Amino acid sequence: MTSNTRSDGINRRTILAGFGAGTVASLGAPQILRAQTRELVVGGAASHKAWVETHVQPLFEKKYNAKLTFEGTRSLVNLEKMQKNKDRPYLSVVQMDDPVMILAVKEGLLDPLTAAKAPNLAKLKPGTVHMDGQWANYLQPWQGIAYNTNVIKEPPTSWADAWDPKYKGRIIIPSLQNTEGLANLFVASSIATGKPMAEAMRDTESGFKKLVSLKPNLLTVYNQMPQAFSLLEQGEAHMIVGALSSFALQRRLDGAPLGLAAPKEGIFPVPSGIAVVKGGPNADLAFAYVNELLGAEVQNKIAPPTFALPTNVDVPIPAGMPTNATMHTIDWAFVAENRNSWVQRWDREMSM
Amino acid sequence: MSAAAARDRTGWLAVPAVAYLGLAYAIPLAFLLARSVTGPDGFTLALFAKFFADPFSWRVIGNTLRIGLLTTLLCLAIGYPVALAMARSKGIVQVILLTAIILPLSIGVVVKAFAWQIVLRRDGVVSQALVASGIWSEPQRLLFTEGGLVVGAANVFLPFMILPIYSVVKLIDPRLTEAGATLGASPFYRFRKILLPLTLPGIISGVAFVFSMSVSMFVIPSLLIGDRFQMLATLTGRAFLLMRDEALGSTTAVVLLILALSIVVGSTWIAKRLGKSA
Repeated sequence: MTSNTRSDGINRRTILAGFGAGTVASLGAPQILRAQTRELVVGGAASHKAWVETHVQPLFEKKYNAKLTFEGTRSLVNLEKMQKNKDRPYLSVVQMDDPVMILAVKEGLLDPLTAAKAPNLAKLKPGTVHMDGQWANYLQPWQGIAYNTNVIKEPPTSWADAWDPKYKGRIIIPSLQNTEGLANLFVASSIATGKPMAEAMRDTESGFKKLVSLKPNLLTVYNQMPQAFSLLEQGEAHMIVGALSSFALQRRLDGAPLGLAAPKEGIFPVPSGIAVVKGGPNADLAFAYVNELLGAEVQNKIAPPTFALPTNVDVPIPAGMPTNATMHTIDWAFVAENRNSWVQRWDREMSM
Repeated sequence: MSAAAARDRTGWLAVPAVAYLGLAYAIPLAFLLARSVTGPDGFTLALFAKFFADPFSWRVIGNTLRIGLLTTLLCLAIGYPVALAMARSKGIVQVILLTAIILPLSIGVVVKAFAWQIVLRRDGVVSQALVASGIWSEPQRLLFTEGGLVVGAANVFLPFMILPIYSVVKLIDPRLTEAGATLGASPFYRFRKILLPLTLPGIISGVAFVFSMSVSMFVIPSLLIGDRFQMLATLTGRAFLLMRDEALGSTTAVVLLILALSIVVGSTWIAKRLGKSA
């Protein structure tokens, strides 16, 4: 008979027992760890993943002994995720564009922010907390005029420069289906009527008429931002009117020959909203995360690399950002009511 | 077991594909169709009536058909001679030609769009060549025009025209045209009376492929002509993704489907008729 026992006392049974114990341990350990470390799932834009993981995640995980998972996608996809999982939400926090936040509010998907749950709300600039605290803006990237510095030596000073005949076929604007596309409609109205921006934003009739007169100068209307910037950097386009600071200034930092001007009529904030999902897991952690993003410590870290203006009044404006430009506040509820009809009109009147 | 019974059993091999298509295509399509004919009070064709009553819809349908037709014609004009050359070539030449046709399929549309951007811009090779040859006095815009879209789309869809024609030409006995030549037929006469009728099934298949893909393309127009030019597919995408208007999206999707389907069914019918008369 052969023995299963080795000289060191290890036999097949002990190996199997050890393997079984190891398996149980390896399967069981995450559950134990999960019990100790709670997880927060945040839905946001894919482009935010880098700065969230670099500047926010380590700080948050250490401070709250929690695990942070950031799902990077698009605002409308996040909305879809919230709608489809309304009864059993798995996202706790969403970082989305303001127009999409309004859709989420309409469907009752958000848990309003309060000063008790997110004390940093009290530190925010006016106009950055929306619809009685349904969501708030944690940053304000801004829209101005991006221009090719090889072609245009003096930065454009006015949004009206886009209508100058010398730019025939050289101007790019964002589509109205992109959130940043709305600025041109409002600016066009103000240029056409001379009304102050807040008033002009409601007179989209004048805005459309003025925009139609921009058609000879248009090279294209983009819905893919990288393509538009590629054309600008190649010199085929001379200006992108209504360009985002977060994209334009990063390209400039990467060596592209372009500048971003803040015109005299003012600039537009690109709404970076944050909200807590109603009924989402770990609500206390969710409010804590929102509070951190509205706080000075995090905003000091994330405003410079995102080329955005902070919304917390205690945070200084990063170097290279416009300090004196007027920032226009957009009435997103008014936009939400009218956007579909504007898009339909845009299709009819701006087509080739 | 008889040979016929064995043949019948091979039909089961199609079950995985049929099941997959049923789950991934037919069921969602049925939902889409149902949505397009459903109103608050049940069955209705009001969505279609509203769509067709809008002159803008006809403009979009016109854009879709025009771009589909022009792309198909361009692919046919370029692809037919290439298919003939490929089918009649031998050895390494045939391998090179086949590789040149099939390899670009592995390159994504986005990459191609950026490449076209470089080629078609005002200081690009096409514009420079036209100026140098005296056709243009100065560089003009080629990007974001209907012409640019057709050229770009043809670039993407060309293999789908060439390959069906190539496979048909390969089956044609070259001695048929040689016999025509010995009887004194001119090259053009031989082409018109012998080669063209025999390659028609391949042409029809190619046309069906390219036309149906051209009318339903979404990414290519977005990249090559931008937001100022609407086709049925881009309108459908916008309705679902941006406006969240399922009624409009399902209506335009069904119109697009009927359009593409009628091309495929029509061309199959023509191919069968030609097959019988041949």
